[in-house]
Amino acid sequence: MSTLTSRELNLSSSTDTTSRFTLSYVWFAVAMTVLTGVYVSYRVYQQMYGLSAGLDSTEPIFQDIWMRLFWIQLPVLFGIVALIQVYLFVTRDRNIDAITPEVELKRYFALTMWLGVYTFAFYWIGSFFGEGDGNWHQTVLRDTPITPSHVVLFYACIPLYLMFGIGSFVYAMTRIPAFCKGISLMHVFAVVGPFLILPNLGYNEWGHAYWLTEEIFSHPLHWGFVVLGWNALSLAGVLMQIISRFRELMPIVFKNENA
Amino acid sequence: MNTETLQHPQGAAAGKPHAAETALSVSGLSPRAAHFSRVFELLVVAAIIMLFAGAIHLHVLLLAGDWDMFVDWKDRQYWPLLTPVVMIMFPAALQGIFWTYFRLPIGATVGATCLMLAVSISRPASFMWWTDYPLNLVLPAQMIASAIVLDVILLVFRNALFTAIFGGFAFAFLFYPANYAIFAPFYVPVSHQGMMASMADLIGYVYPRSATPEYIRIIERGTLRTFGDSASWVSALFGGFICIFMHYAWWYLGLAMSSMKFLPNNPKVMALMGTKPDAKPSN
Repeated sequence: MSTLTSRELNLSSSTDTTSRFTLSYVWFAVAMTVLTGVYVSYRVYQQMYGLSAGLDSTEPIFQDIWMRLFWIQLPVLFGIVALIQVYLFVTRDRNIDAITPEVELKRYFALTMWLGVYTFAFYWIGSFFGEGDGNWHQTVLRDTPITPSHVVLFYACIPLYLMFGIGSFVYAMTRIPAFCKGISLMHVFAVVGPFLILPNLGYNEWGHAYWLTEEIFSHPLHWGFVVLGWNALSLAGVLMQIISRFRELMPIVFKNENA
Repeated sequence: MNTETLQHPQGAAAGKPHAAETALSVSGLSPRAAHFSRVFELLVVAAIIMLFAGAIHLHVLLLAGDWDMFVDWKDRQYWPLLTPVVMIMFPAALQGIFWTYFRLPIGATVGATCLMLAVSISRPASFMWWTDYPLNLVLPAQMIASAIVLDVILLVFRNALFTAIFGGFAFAFLFYPANYAIFAPFYVPVSHQGMMASMADLIGYVYPRSATPEYIRIIERGTLRTFGDSASWVSALFGGFICIFMHYAWWYLGLAMSSMKFLPNNPKVMALMGTKPDAKPSN
């Protein structure tokens, strides 16, 4: 099994290394398209059944429309989260030191695409459905933690962004030398911070259940989400790590092409 | 060499290398390398826009909250004070990152624009289309004007401290006048059931929000002293004072959060990927 470093492999590579460098955007396009379809579908579902079937959790129609969705999506979405990580680990690169600069550059592109999909998913929970939740609770009194807004915001959007957040971390660690040899501190923050929104939910719903606190959206009960959302800044650190290695790899991969 | 236009040169300039080709040759990138570099940049820009649209919106939603959401919360005491203090945090961090690593004075404007993009989508989509709130009840404030001034001050001073002092202050001080043209009509007094109210108050009475009765609104109660016209400037001054410190702290928080540090990985984990356990992590 080859244990040559990428630098040694680069020196011995043929002069037409650049001609082999290609990128595939298929999975990126598929992920973005599927996610967009899922989010738009959820919004349409809220529009159709939010006010007509989502006001009273004791009504049978609420059980049919919203609780059924809740019980289906929980195992499906969290199951997909687990499956993706298992797949990434099982298909890991078992000789990561031997990759060529081209392969490494491709994987940095792939990691950037993972992060792009992650940020796309984060937009929908942080902005679109987040404000929708505020809107819902200003309009309708909360009777249980499972509301039409929460079914989508917490129990669908969170696993959807966890797929790609944790996935980006596992992808990087199993396929990119720098992220395998060292743990990117900012990548940990960028993934764990939003992940902790899930347990913070428990605290949030406990507070709302016993003290309501619906009156003011900037109530201290919500500040846990704020602090965890600040971890979005740490993704800038991950991008800087990618950019710094990108700058080193580009001249190596394209060295034989004339400007 | 034609540098006057990015179009393909015509007439007397035809045949000479134009600006885009010159830039490529200076960069040392081949056309294919430039293409992939541009693809990478587009991916990064798209990720930054989506990330900060989500993050800044969540931040403002849960800290400034109702003051930004509802027109009848846009008073002269709390709104000009709290909103800029909350809204300057992420722009200051983005300024720190963009300026330190790229020397781009665009951080604050990027943050402000991402926020406006996010609220422009979510206010109609949620408040209007789902629960039939009128848009003039849920008009968001804008901070783009203040953010541009903040960035220009960074461009002029090229220094974090002076940007915090002058730019942070200006950010808050300009917030109220920059939004005045939008919200002034809602301050027009009306007579409602024999009492004086503002147009914004009346809109709030007509479209009740079940979670927030009118008396729970955290807005100015007012005294004879504040009945005149200086109340908003006092709040803006105080907001400017706080924003100086907030900007300085968040500039360095942004730099801390964009660290490129790697911690050593567990040798057993590294061995699963065939990496030698004694290999040093790259920084």
